[in-house]
Amino acid sequence: MTTPSTTVAPPVAGRQGNYAGGVTRLAAFAADVGASWGIFTLGVAGLGFAINLATGGQVNLASRQILALIAIIIWEFVYFAYQWSLGGKTIGMALLGIRVVASDGNPITPRQAVIRTVALPLSILLLGLGFIGILLNKDRHALHDRLAKTVVVYSWDARAARLRWLAKQEPTTPV
Amino acid sequence: MSPLPGANRMEQLVESIAERVVNLVLDAVDINALVAQIDMDAVLAKVDVDAIVSKVDVEKIIERVDVQKIIDRVDVDEIVARVDVEAIIDRVDVQHIIERVDVQEIVQRVDIDSLVEQTELGTIIARSTSGVASEVLDVVRAQGVGLDDFVARWVNRILRRSSSEWPAGPTRLISPAPAEVPALAAEVAR
Repeated sequence: MTTPSTTVAPPVAGRQGNYAGGVTRLAAFAADVGASWGIFTLGVAGLGFAINLATGGQVNLASRQILALIAIIIWEFVYFAYQWSLGGKTIGMALLGIRVVASDGNPITPRQAVIRTVALPLSILLLGLGFIGILLNKDRHALHDRLAKTVVVYSWDARAARLRWLAKQEPTTPV
Repeated sequence: MSPLPGANRMEQLVESIAERVVNLVLDAVDINALVAQIDMDAVLAKVDVDAIVSKVDVEKIIERVDVQKIIDRVDVDEIVARVDVEAIIDRVDVQHIIERVDVQEIVQRVDIDSLVEQTELGTIIARSTSGVASEVLDVVRAQGVGLDDFVARWVNRILRRSSSEWPAGPTRLISPAPAEVPALAAEVAR
């Protein structure tokens, strides 16, 4: 596991660094669930194919539900904890342009990444009440954010996107 | 003519004698030595220069001077050629000047949107950065941010509170520039 850098990127124009809202976070989480399940399924299929090639036997997790559950839990833990500790963002978060940072704006530490990953199921298991803070709190803290002392911010450079959009328009009159 | 007879001749004789005497005296006197003995400082001290100057009509003198003619005779190129520009530049504290320039203010005055829109710079940016994937991402992210703001507005309305005094984000990450995402979301959605 790579230790993240302790330096902080300088502030830039746009929404970068602002607390991310609930819709973007929910969309990123949905994308992550899809991505992690997709990768898990592909991994299990690949592993089964390799075992089949090597031994001629079949791997069927459907018949071993406890083993499948443990494998999924370990995989989900690795998926989130590793990616958050690496750069503060998962695949879904990268797509939606958000990232996790420490409450003071510094990069998230591996310890915070692990705490956040362990606490995430708590927010879900409490009938989703752990997420209500994203809508109500001034710093948009979910339960797992509060426990890990982290916040989620926009990392997407809206200004660059605007310039790209303007650049696609035909030049009007030369300066 | 003189009333006395022979007076005319007498007069001419006296004049020639006087002329001769003066020439002899002048030949005999060393004028340089005489001048050297004069205390010029003492003489000048007695001269009232202010009184002399006050009598001079300077305006009249200036009026008679053809300034244009003087300027025409001045070889500016030659004067400039004699100036050691390098030495002047060396004496200028450029760092001090740069420190006094507010670059941030200059950048803020630049209309980057207009610059990108009206020049080839836009095409260069488009070629170097844009693709279908980034365009889709921009749209998705802009829509997401727009929906975030929409939801936050409605939650605040329902709870009857104002979020204007809330921090936008961690202080270390917040940009002083105003947010432009809502405008972008509207433009992209069009």
